[in-house]
Amino acid sequence: MTNDQQILDSLKDPSTKELAFRHLISTYKERLYWHIRKIVMNHDDTDDVLQNSFIKIWNGIDSFRGESSLFTWLYRIATNESITFLNQRKRKMMSSLTDENEYLIENLESDTYFDGDEWQMLLQKAIAILPEKQRLVFNMKYFDEIKYEEMSEILGTSVGALKASYHHAVKKVEEYVKSHETRIDP
Amino acid sequence: MYEEENIEPEFMKRDKTNPFRTPDRYFDSLGDRIMGEIRHPAKSKTTSTKVIRLLKPVLGLAASITLVYILISNPINHFLLKGTINSQADVTTAVSSDYDSTLSFSSIDDNTIINAISSDEISPVSQINPEDMLAYLSSRMNEVEIYSEIQN
Repeated sequence: MTNDQQILDSLKDPSTKELAFRHLISTYKERLYWHIRKIVMNHDDTDDVLQNSFIKIWNGIDSFRGESSLFTWLYRIATNESITFLNQRKRKMMSSLTDENEYLIENLESDTYFDGDEWQMLLQKAIAILPEKQRLVFNMKYFDEIKYEEMSEILGTSVGALKASYHHAVKKVEEYVKSHETRIDP
Repeated sequence: MYEEENIEPEFMKRDKTNPFRTPDRYFDSLGDRIMGEIRHPAKSKTTSTKVIRLLKPVLGLAASITLVYILISNPINHFLLKGTINSQADVTTAVSSDYDSTLSFSSIDDNTIINAISSDEISPVSQINPEDMLAYLSSRMNEVEIYSEIQN
């Protein structure tokens, strides 16, 4: 029996549900945190989205049928929560005439929990200006090294489309980095 | 078409070190905070916020209507009030003049009044002959006939 299966069995028993959920949080908190952080960029926003994701998971655990792996289901919820969060921000920003990409770059520059050097900042900015889907795919493939098949289940997109998105994302990041890299002092 | 071996740009040869970090011991308390949030959800600001958000346009409209009403009705009231004050002033003046005449009548002393009554001055009424008066009353003449009679 896998660890996930043990967690799921314990979650179905009301007497062990809370303990099992604590175990689930402990197992997945860091992976989900870093997944969300790469999407929303800023720590405070990530904290909000992560908590909301776990609350959604708690509320929806009884409806989880095990058709996909627990990991995939959790990633899907965290991804959806992150996108919902960014869309809400986008709606609020309509009045201030800034778009989601600008918001992400501002978030990145104002984040006190960013320890990267100039080149890493440049790379993150290049990722921030990608369209939403390409940004998701790039992060999941490049940093998390998630397989296309798993990504396909999480994002509900075909493997072919994911490969295409990644290809375009890599090209755009490369162009952005090349055009801005000369401005960075060696 | 999009095989990975074809994609190996320069930036990919660099170190993939995670440039982000978290506050110290952030993950230690995360489980407790989430369970606390699940057990005692933060008092929903949603209800009041939703109500305010729904009422916002209505309140804005009501405020605008009130403002317009005040702006329009104030000058009208001002003019109406001014008119009322003027007419009240007229009435007050009239009343005070009546009051003045009353005062002036009351200021006449008793002897003057008695003298006026008992004076020999002939009043116009006393000059009318009773017979003429009787003839006038029994004549049944209209105003035109009386006028032509006087003229003649």
